[in-house]
Amino acid sequence: MKVLKIVPEKCTGCLRCELACSYMQTGAFQPAKSVIRVSPYEGHTSYAPYTCTQCAEGWCMTACPVGAITITPAGAKDVVDDRCVGCKLCTIACPYGTIFYDHDTRKAFKCDLCGGAPACAEACPTAAIVYEETTTADWLADFAVERSARLLASGAR
Amino acid sequence: MAARHLVIGAGTAGLNCIRTIREEDGGASEIVLVAAERPYSRMVLPYYLDRSIAESHVFTATAATLAAWKVKTHIGRKAASLNPQANALTLDDGTTLEYDDCLIATGSRAVKAPVPGADSPGVHSFWTLEQARAVIAGIAPGSHVVMVGAGFIAFTILNSILSLGARLTIVEIAPRILPRMVDDKGAALVDAWLKKHGVKILTGVTLVKIDDARGKKRLRLKKGGDLLADLVVMATGIKPNLEWLQGSGIRINHGILVDDHLRSSVPNLYAAGDVAEGKDGVTGAPVVHAIEPTAMEHGRVVGANMAGRDVAYRGSLNMNIVEVCGLDVASFGAWDRPEAEAFTALRSDRSAYRKLCWTGDRLTGAVIIGRAADVWTTNDVGMLKGLVQTGGRLGAWKEHLRRNPFDVKPAFIASRTTARLLPDTTLGRPSRAPEFPTTVTR
Ligand SMILES: Cc1cc2nc3c(=O)[nH]c(=O)nc-3n(C[C@H](O)[C@H](O)[C@H](O)COP(=O)(O)OP(=O)(O)OC[C@H]3O[C@@H](n4cnc5c(N)ncnc54)[C@H](O)[C@@H]3O)c2cc1C
Ligand code: SF4
Ligand code: SF4
Repeated sequence: MKVLKIVPEKCTGCLRCELACSYMQTGAFQPAKSVIRVSPYEGHTSYAPYTCTQCAEGWCMTACPVGAITITPAGAKDVVDDRCVGCKLCTIACPYGTIFYDHDTRKAFKCDLCGGAPACAEACPTAAIVYEETTTADWLADFAVERSARLLASGAR
Repeated sequence: MAARHLVIGAGTAGLNCIRTIREEDGGASEIVLVAAERPYSRMVLPYYLDRSIAESHVFTATAATLAAWKVKTHIGRKAASLNPQANALTLDDGTTLEYDDCLIATGSRAVKAPVPGADSPGVHSFWTLEQARAVIAGIAPGSHVVMVGAGFIAFTILNSILSLGARLTIVEIAPRILPRMVDDKGAALVDAWLKKHGVKILTGVTLVKIDDARGKKRLRLKKGGDLLADLVVMATGIKPNLEWLQGSGIRINHGILVDDHLRSSVPNLYAAGDVAEGKDGVTGAPVVHAIEPTAMEHGRVVGANMAGRDVAYRGSLNMNIVEVCGLDVASFGAWDRPEAEAFTALRSDRSAYRKLCWTGDRLTGAVIIGRAADVWTTNDVGMLKGLVQTGGRLGAWKEHLRRNPFDVKPAFIASRTTARLLPDTTLGRPSRAPEFPTTVTR
């Protein structure tokens, strides 16, 4: 299966992925509704995007009481809006924190891999997000461990 | 001869069991379902109450779905007695059914406070579809609804009642609201928020009786001050449906005691969901959670085991979320152990509250309260669940979270929680999508 591979070292924090994602998902440029989210590290000297891994368990999908989350042909777990009642159970079931609740539509929303052509990967100018055939992995941990050493040391006092 | 599986109860646990058996065996075995009601999801009844969904939306399987799954049904019938020695179940109409293995998933029922008048017309429970219909018929814009009880279930229908244009008063015998879902500080925040949004809350009051006065229900309170209501909802607790198992010899404590395969003291009898007392994944202790995700996971694990797999269950995670008037209230794991070390943080300006509970440097419980419009701007809620679920050691991140309890993401990522989670599946294989009937023939 093709997955979103994240190469955090390449991310410049330009946030084009968030813009592209929100535009694709909602038809408007509103990063608050992006399902890929870029976080700063080392006091905004480096950045890393983070989104749903389309995990094997699909905690969001199995938790949904009305079967509103399904698997698309691209292999993404996707919320079927007509079925979703907005109970938020999926948002506490996903242990990665990558399914959200939209207060305006009263539905859950998440990464659906844009039907197999993810807008974030297309928008990223540095190939920090690539859509390729590989096994999903913990793309960010090494990067985060390295970039947060100083933050932790400063707090240790 | 193909195995004969008997499933008693068509709620969350029963349906997940059936679906999983069919995922595993493609229709090879015999499945018989006995259920007092048609299959539906109780926890979406609040959305039927506020009319945001049609009644048909609550059903989790239709007759056609069950036929496609090759399930023989006895719907509208109750299990009356079980004879584990003979592997036989007797129904309330005298029918006897034999099985090779059996799942008991009869869920719970609502219990009313034992006061005179509790069973009179106009005093409702809100647990079944039938009860939901009665409440819907009884509320009109401008109605005064009095809810007795301020627990989680009461709170799941609070928004719906308000959105119907009713006025709401909550009466609670305990000194505070949400006793089993959040701590005192969290409860105080929610209490203040609700009062600000026009909900009247009376805590520490004892209801003595309910009678009729001037065409309304009159609630007599011990300290005086009667309340007049157009409709009363009693959300005063639930009880597992286990009475029919009396004399069966199955070991029962608060629920049916089950091992890590969800087997009861009788090996070919499984129990799941609200009737099962199984392992809590955080504390390791046997517990009845009576929540949807536990019923779902129990049901899936039983289904796989009935189909011949050997699946041990990691244990369930206590978790709840409810939104009231735009405020999200959630808790995970062991958030209420008084002996546990806890960090709390309150941001009154944003009505946000956090409590993080620890065992050494492992996060073992959390309470999160915040405006719904704010909470989903971060990924915190799910990540806290991930941290509690994996129980990984957080080392120096613990200190970071003490100083910054709202900065969960770097701790989650740098503690390699993702790597710990990725291989974790409940059934030892990827989950299938729920629209199963189309794939049943193999
Ligand atoms: C209004 C409401 C809101 C809720 N909100 C949430 C929530 O937000 N989050 C959450 O985690 N949980 C919530 N719950 C709780 C959740 O619905 C239950 O924990 C869950 O349904 C339990 O599943 P179960 O399969 O054990 O039992 P149930 O779903 O209750 O199913 C029990 C089945 O057994 C049948 N039955 C009972 N007795 C017999 C008998 N003698 N013979 C044959 N059949 C019998 C019933 O008809 C039913 O089919 C809510 C419940 C309600 C009522
Ligand atoms: S939203 Fe979460 S639970 Fe659902 S597929 Fe993505 S990572 Fe898995
Ligand atoms: S919010 Fe929607 S998708 Fe999520 S569990 Fe509830 S009904 Fe299912």
